[in-house]
Amino acid sequence: MTLNWIGLVAAVTTFMGVWIGHVSVRKIEYISPTVWVPSGVALFLGVLLELGALVSENPYLSALLGIFGVTVLWDALEFWRQHRRVEKGHAPANPDNPRHTRLLRTSAMSTTMDWLDRNPTGRLLSTEELRAIQEGRL
Amino acid sequence: MNFFGLLLGLATLLIIGLGFVWVIRGEYYLGYLWWPYIMGLGILIVIACLFVPSNWISALLGIFGASLVWGSTELKEQAVRAEIGWYPYNPTTRPAPPYVDKIKNWPAPHI
Repeated sequence: MTLNWIGLVAAVTTFMGVWIGHVSVRKIEYISPTVWVPSGVALFLGVLLELGALVSENPYLSALLGIFGVTVLWDALEFWRQHRRVEKGHAPANPDNPRHTRLLRTSAMSTTMDWLDRNPTGRLLSTEELRAIQEGRL
Repeated sequence: MNFFGLLLGLATLLIIGLGFVWVIRGEYYLGYLWWPYIMGLGILIVIACLFVPSNWISALLGIFGASLVWGSTELKEQAVRAEIGWYPYNPTTRPAPPYVDKIKNWPAPHI
């Protein structure tokens, strides 16, 4: 029986596309003074990848470009969502990034600490515990 | 013009979008300790897609399987989000997965 490798190509591309996007959006948004520049670059790259998918006759290459392109287009949107997360304190702000220092000044929720850098406890955290986390005591 | 990749890309968008929903629901109703089962199911689906002759079905299964594996690594962080109060926390006792004591000793993957 011959194996069909197209699904594996699609699976690996999906996983790697999401992984690369997940990590690079966080890293780039952290240091970039603007959101629109990295977002615009991702939009441009994503469109190029989709055009590549359209013109490639090889199904493996077409699938790879089409799937990876969509994850890059999603990243273009995620740059804006990540900015919002920093504003709300759901992602850590970078005190050396002027855009983030502005958020730290104007948004009471924004913070340089990472709320998610912990393990689940199995219960809802109390106000006291949340304050302790915020003050770095927990 | 070959629309295969572009349409698969659009399907990927929907499947990833679905991932946002099931990670939140899955953590709420089952709890993050089910992650090895979700990951295992995803890996099985990816292996199964090798045996599907249709390119469309094989590719769609591959994308879905990969998104299950990815989502399984998101469950732990989602549990933290719920405990902090960013998402609804389920106060009821959730079903424990088989071999829960073993799973508790494994570091839950997070990327």
